[in-house]
Amino acid sequence: MASGTVRALDGVNLEISEGERVILLGPSGSGKTTLLNCISALDSPTAGTYTFDGSPVPRHDAEEMTSFRRENIGYVFQFFNLLQDLTVLENIMLIQELSGGRDEARARQLLELVGLSGEVDRFPAEISGGQQQRVAIARSLAKSPRLLLGDELTGNLDSKTSAMVMEVLIKACETKGITCIFVTHDESLVEYATRAIRLDSGRVMSDSTIE
Amino acid sequence: MSTLLTKRLARSLWRTKLRLYSVILMIAVGVFAGISFGTYANSTQTLYDNIYTDDEDGVNLPDIWVENSAATWNGATADSLCQTISEQWPDASMPLETCEPRMVIDGLMFHIDEGEEKFIPAVWHGIDEGRVDRVWMPEDDCCSGRLASADDEIVLDEHAASGMEIGLGDTVSIGAGHGSMDFTVVGIGYHSQHLFFSQMSSILPAEPGTFATGYLSDTGIERLANLSAGSANQLLLDVAGSPEYDLQSTDEVEGERLSEIISSVRDTMMAADDASFITYDRSGVESVEFLRADAEGASKSYPIITGMIAMVAGITIFLSLQRLIQSQAREIAILRTLGIPKSAIMPGFILAPIAIGLIGSSIGIVLGVVFGGPAMVAMYEDLLGIPAIGFHTDASLIVQNFVIAMGIVLIAGIKPALDASRMQPLEILRGQHEVRLSSRGIQRLTSRLPTTVGLTIRSSMRKPMRLIFTFFAVGLSMLIFGTMSLMMDSMGSLVGGIEDQNWDAQVNVPFGGEGAVIGWAEEKGADHETMLVFPGNAEGDTRQFLAYGLDVISTGDDAMSPLNLLEGSLPVAGATPTQVLVDEGTMMFLEWEIGHTQTVMFGPFSLDVEITGVTRGEISRTVYFHRSDLSDAIGLEATTVLLSLPEGVELDEQIGEMSIGITQKQDMLDSFDSLLEKQQQIFNAVLGLGVIIAIAVLFNTLLMNLSERDSELATLRVLGAPISRIRSMMLGEHLAIGLIGGVLAAVFTIVMTQYLISSIVQWAFFFTLQPDIMAALELILVVVVISVMCTPYGTWRVSRMDLVKKVKDLSQ
Repeated sequence: MASGTVRALDGVNLEISEGERVILLGPSGSGKTTLLNCISALDSPTAGTYTFDGSPVPRHDAEEMTSFRRENIGYVFQFFNLLQDLTVLENIMLIQELSGGRDEARARQLLELVGLSGEVDRFPAEISGGQQQRVAIARSLAKSPRLLLGDELTGNLDSKTSAMVMEVLIKACETKGITCIFVTHDESLVEYATRAIRLDSGRVMSDSTIE
Repeated sequence: MSTLLTKRLARSLWRTKLRLYSVILMIAVGVFAGISFGTYANSTQTLYDNIYTDDEDGVNLPDIWVENSAATWNGATADSLCQTISEQWPDASMPLETCEPRMVIDGLMFHIDEGEEKFIPAVWHGIDEGRVDRVWMPEDDCCSGRLASADDEIVLDEHAASGMEIGLGDTVSIGAGHGSMDFTVVGIGYHSQHLFFSQMSSILPAEPGTFATGYLSDTGIERLANLSAGSANQLLLDVAGSPEYDLQSTDEVEGERLSEIISSVRDTMMAADDASFITYDRSGVESVEFLRADAEGASKSYPIITGMIAMVAGITIFLSLQRLIQSQAREIAILRTLGIPKSAIMPGFILAPIAIGLIGSSIGIVLGVVFGGPAMVAMYEDLLGIPAIGFHTDASLIVQNFVIAMGIVLIAGIKPALDASRMQPLEILRGQHEVRLSSRGIQRLTSRLPTTVGLTIRSSMRKPMRLIFTFFAVGLSMLIFGTMSLMMDSMGSLVGGIEDQNWDAQVNVPFGGEGAVIGWAEEKGADHETMLVFPGNAEGDTRQFLAYGLDVISTGDDAMSPLNLLEGSLPVAGATPTQVLVDEGTMMFLEWEIGHTQTVMFGPFSLDVEITGVTRGEISRTVYFHRSDLSDAIGLEATTVLLSLPEGVELDEQIGEMSIGITQKQDMLDSFDSLLEKQQQIFNAVLGLGVIIAIAVLFNTLLMNLSERDSELATLRVLGAPISRIRSMMLGEHLAIGLIGGVLAAVFTIVMTQYLISSIVQWAFFFTLQPDIMAALELILVVVVISVMCTPYGTWRVSRMDLVKKVKDLSQ
């Protein structure tokens, strides 16, 4: 290996089944986010294969990768990243529109699912961080994704709110049969997962099922 | 002051190179425009002052003219009149230095051009002593030779000489109603009455080879026009110094003392002589007045134009620097959190705008002094054909523009930095200073629209003040181009009236000479109409108009000389009082109204006239009479015969020799086309300037909007929004901004053009705004195109976003 080359992921072999709730743990620089980026088709592995539901995932064409994300992936960010100029309800309908058609009734259902049916006309700046994250979860479910990804999605929340958000997320995923993968430093979130994978220096150090 | 902190700021600002360049560009453009226009305005003013001055290099322009409008004084009479005027001079504190008789006549030049003989209308001056109103022969490539002394010598005007490729030593054939005679060219120069080289009452500079003027000796002109020794039709009076005279462009009476002297001279002349004469000051000399008006117009429009450019540049600089510095807010907050005092942070934020201002101003100054100023003056020389001797860019002009630019930049740069340094660091670090609650009103208005459309509209209106300023700046930047476009259209419709005329040639005849020309016309089967043209003025007013006596006053397309009647009705011949039509410029300046009776003067003779209607399209101030009415008033039958030539009939030597000047319609149209071509170059340069500024303004704002939405756009991309969708959103936003900006630009332009025209029109040069819907649409289209051009860049920017990095940023 030439000096200066960094192996962000090194020989990672994973198979994730439908309905699993996977938590990726590890210190900074362990490759968690890189792995998540590859799974979400934001990035492409230098070598190896990635199949989703038996089909290879696009890895070179940006628009094909975007299309894959739109059709299959829901994403929740640490800092929510709601669009400030849209109301809570409109943030969800935007994703529906990008995927082909808006459905206000369904958007309201999703907000009810995350416990925010009373906040539909509020702007993000008018609600709390925890509420914003719940809206972000509802948004990520708007197009009925097969896979939901979260990167440090409780990193900006206090422990009580974190717990509330995780419960909402898990309930939503169980209801819809959605597979979840979330990246975190927070060991306390292991209880919400069905499987924990630890990474270090780009390698899988452990992969255990959680009862 | 910490060098490290300043270095940090410099590197940070360097990361946003594009925005930095746009600010520097706007400063450079503003300073460049100010220096270029200022050089033009200053140069035109000082040029005339230098030419007219009484010294070896100047021409010693007279202060008062007495002109015999119907006949000629013989030598003894002319000298006697000068003597009487001198003896009865009313003001010893403004003594008369010189009274010089002068002969100026209309004529023809017979010129062979590519084997074809041409009859070129001309004006010949006979100069005796030449103590006043001398021929101007500056030390320049333009001019050479000496004054004419023998009776077969001529100094040809440089415009004519260069247009017809005539040089020293050449022989020219000229006439003045008594056949043609040969003269040798001994000099090439200019004359104050023809610096603006055009035929009488025309604002069109004569196309090369279509007009000539020459300066003969007194014996030369007597030989040419078969006059007795000492004959004159003008008395040139030179008062000591250069007293102020009444300007036509103001309501005040600037030259009260000179006006009193002129009045006294008029009384003296009336008592001493029966001839029909007019007296006037410099404002009555077309060329002098036109060039003065042009210089005054340049002086008036320079601050307006540079003011507009400064405002546009100022707004753009302000918005850009504000954004640049606001993007430093986080860094300022971090530094404050680390304990670094304001006094250590602020110097860098003062130095940054100073540096930006210095760089931009330096570029603007160099470009303005080396290219802009000389280019403007060269354009002026090319248009008017006068060498701009001794022009230079004043140091005070450079300093003035520099100070204004630096002032704008400092205010624009320091204020946001001061604001950022006063904010609470924690607020900035949390990003709370950038959180803005969206407008509920706009949300309700757009809630029924597709969400992407609603998002686009709301994002655009997130910073309404920036949007308003942008619209204002775009409106102003297109104003420069739009104003020129509208003014050219308006002027175009003015001279476009020439095409509507149904005559082919206007043949000027000596008094009583129309019969011969009519005989020629009838022999050739050409249609003809006689016309009488005579200068006059309103009673109590020194400004001259031209009275046109027409055989047929008509608005019909088939009339020889159709008029454009704006309001009122056509006059009836033989009415009492005499009925007339007046052009709208005259009506406005003299505050006349339809239906009223006014008194007009033709020399010492007065006539009451009733105004029945107003016309439009006259280049100079005009009053239309029935020829019979005007003839009764002034005792002359005709000065001109209009000819409409049948197919195959051309003007020949016979008619050339019986006339004292022929103006061909085609020559006038060619002059107009030539002027239009030259104006087109200026127009294109101004359009280019306006478009560059509009591009800088729009791009600047739209790019700022884009960069502020980076996280929003990245979120959309991560969530799966296709690039085509984002492109559509951007296109919609840019199209809307372009349309609104374009409409505002069109409105601004019409209002401002109206104001500009009203501030530059004068007695000698009048026209009205003729707003054209196509010009307005063109303006809107230009703005829309510029705005929409931002979309490809925005799309490219989003498509090449490193989403991996963005997700990392979003997650941090």
